[in-house]
Amino acid sequence: MAMIDLDKMLAKVKSTQWSLSDIDWDAPGADLITEEQWPKLKDFMTDLMWIEHVGARAFAAMAKKAPTDTLREIYTYFHAEEQRHANVEMALMKRWGMLDGDELPEPNINLRLIIEWLDRHSDEVPVYVLGTVVPMLEIALDGALCKFLLDTVDDPVCHQAFEKINDDESRHLGVGFSVMEMQGHGATYIKTVEMAAQIANPRVILGIASYFPLLNKMRDNVVAMGLSEEKLYACMEKFEKIGGRTREGRSNPWFQIIKFHSRWMVDRNNKFYHVPVDALVKATSYIPRKLLPAVPSWVKELTYEPTA
Amino acid sequence: MTNATPSRKPKTPAKKTPATSVKKHKPATVLIVGAGFAGLGTAIRLQQAGIKDIVILERAGEVGGTWRDNNYPGAACDIPSNLYSYSFDQNPDWSRSFSGSEEILGYIKAMVKRFDLEKYIRFNQNVSDLAFDEDQGIWNATTDQGDVFSGRAAVMAQGPLSNASFPDISGIEKYQGHKVHSAAWDHDYDFRGKKVGVIGTGASAIQIIPELVKDASKLTVFQRTPAWVVPRPDFDTPDWQKALFRKVPASQSALRKGLYLAHESMALAVIWNSPMTRLAERLGRWHLKRQVKDRWLRRQLTPDYRIGCKRILVSNDYYPALQQPNCKLITWPITRMSENGILTAEGIEHQFDCIVFATGFDVGHSGTPFPVRGAGGRKLDEEWKRGAQAYKSINVAGYPNLFLTFGPNSGPGHNSALVYMESQIDYIVKGVKTILDKNLKTLSVRGEAQDEYNSKIQKRLAKTNWNSGCKSWYLTEDGVNATMYPGFATQYARQMASLELKDYELIPA
Repeated sequence: MAMIDLDKMLAKVKSTQWSLSDIDWDAPGADLITEEQWPKLKDFMTDLMWIEHVGARAFAAMAKKAPTDTLREIYTYFHAEEQRHANVEMALMKRWGMLDGDELPEPNINLRLIIEWLDRHSDEVPVYVLGTVVPMLEIALDGALCKFLLDTVDDPVCHQAFEKINDDESRHLGVGFSVMEMQGHGATYIKTVEMAAQIANPRVILGIASYFPLLNKMRDNVVAMGLSEEKLYACMEKFEKIGGRTREGRSNPWFQIIKFHSRWMVDRNNKFYHVPVDALVKATSYIPRKLLPAVPSWVKELTYEPTA
Repeated sequence: MTNATPSRKPKTPAKKTPATSVKKHKPATVLIVGAGFAGLGTAIRLQQAGIKDIVILERAGEVGGTWRDNNYPGAACDIPSNLYSYSFDQNPDWSRSFSGSEEILGYIKAMVKRFDLEKYIRFNQNVSDLAFDEDQGIWNATTDQGDVFSGRAAVMAQGPLSNASFPDISGIEKYQGHKVHSAAWDHDYDFRGKKVGVIGTGASAIQIIPELVKDASKLTVFQRTPAWVVPRPDFDTPDWQKALFRKVPASQSALRKGLYLAHESMALAVIWNSPMTRLAERLGRWHLKRQVKDRWLRRQLTPDYRIGCKRILVSNDYYPALQQPNCKLITWPITRMSENGILTAEGIEHQFDCIVFATGFDVGHSGTPFPVRGAGGRKLDEEWKRGAQAYKSINVAGYPNLFLTFGPNSGPGHNSALVYMESQIDYIVKGVKTILDKNLKTLSVRGEAQDEYNSKIQKRLAKTNWNSGCKSWYLTEDGVNATMYPGFATQYARQMASLELKDYELIPA
């Protein structure tokens, strides 16, 4: 992917803003969700909404550390846009009768741990770490999940909403890969040493300990919902393909790490990776929710109401 | 700002009536534009120097400038009153350490009476043009009312921040609800039980928000950049102190001196990047942590620029107000305005009965409030296009006998604006006396002197916190700082203490 002009991108982002009130939430089509679909879709939408929301928080952290004013402003918008996507997904859940009153759906334990990590540590993690992980999550989870959703749900309002969401996401990915390439410029040796230092950073270790099981858990969830595992892996391979297209992209050591991780992840025969990570998934499922601190207040900003 | 929140539209604006016939008035010795602190202070000192042929043009129907116009709920000065007052007219009766706008306006009005200034003031005269007549050596001020007032010398004391500014938000004209600007408060609007939005979190906003939150059913505050906020040591003045100041005026002068020196020391934190800057940032962070327990809200309110780069705010009740159950802080980017309210990038339309714009003032980095035409028909706004420039902030080459108050690079970041103003006023008195004593037609600063002064000042500014990378109203779009003075108030006073005739061209009458 060629490097993009970030100033032009910022102008484009500003000129393509939309809001929940652009969608008619009472339009016909809600009844196209079948009874059989409903319970699985509810779990699926809950995961999707939370993934968008943690993505939002990651962009907030990146905005704080962005190397230029333009990138800072772009990330500030992306933070808001991911929040908008989560709001839209919550509004769809409301439309489909999946919300229990005004209550927020409960995130799964691995997402809950990621929320905790983002709240406490993400602002201190260097921008290029999140700058590589976020495109991976966007392309793999967002990409695969959104496609699966549109393949299985006939409600036209859902399609209208995701057309808008996908437009936003394509800009997020454009910037994401461009920034990865920007980070690939310069002496590889120095960057590798810096990366090695970051891997020893307890914040990053904790993040990895939350991120690995999240991916395996999500894989299990989407497979349970009927998405073929291969489709998820195809998206992850797309990350490797686009991210590694240029020399700069390939020389970003964080790209290399995430790439190798995604290879382990898609290789079910890699017991060295999957046995301990699946064990971690299982172990985290035993964590009593009561032991976790109260959810951070940024979580409470989610809403399905188009107006306030 | 170290004074108040600057000025704006007149409470009783002079009506623009078509000038059917021009009414020329007899030239005065000194023509002053504006009857706020600067204009009135200049008149007092001129009067004390024996110059009593003065005309003051005021666009509103009463005196007071900033303090007449900024009367929103909670309006107050963020410099202690004992320092935010004239040394030549101290007031022993300030009711609080930091007085509100009403009390300050009362002080100004009392000053007009005490020094018998009303006779000089022409109310409801809004200057629309100020031009120098080279043949006669006089300045002519034409007003919207069709009058022409003249003076051998002219003083521009209209205030550096005198016109309200609305933000550049798409669709702002579509909003159908009530709109109020902090600088032109609508006292007839009843905020009780209303859904109110406040755009801006600057000096005016942080005074308005704690008051509005008491009345509004829901208050939503839109923030773009969080400011550094430090505690405000505000308290009622004890009666014994008032009595002491009345009986022993020297005690008040001593307190004033102490306050002055304390503020001078703050320059080390505010103007330059020093260990004091780190201490000041610690104070700001401590204040935030003490008042805001929620980690996310604290993150939203934590500034990401060096303290001093923008105006530092002082408040004890802003953070608590934001945490009231009926108040919400929004930091999402504003995308546009609609009929009903404000849309933000997280996709939500925030609907309001009333929106308060606490968005500051049009700052004349490069313009002038009205056309100012000097020798040879030159126009000041054209010359200032790339950033305003003056000699010692007070004179401009090509504009003889014209004096500016709060001209380019005279803004204080750490001390009372009135301290700077006194230095400017005394310089004006020296200038006017030179014109009279030497019977000059023109006293005109030399271009080379002005250039040399500005080159030095810009070099000094490059090393200050104001020029450290944040965006603020101190800087032009090109990043030129034409607003602030890069030094201690004492340095400024020293530079203004003498009028160097070698820097001027003197042409006899």
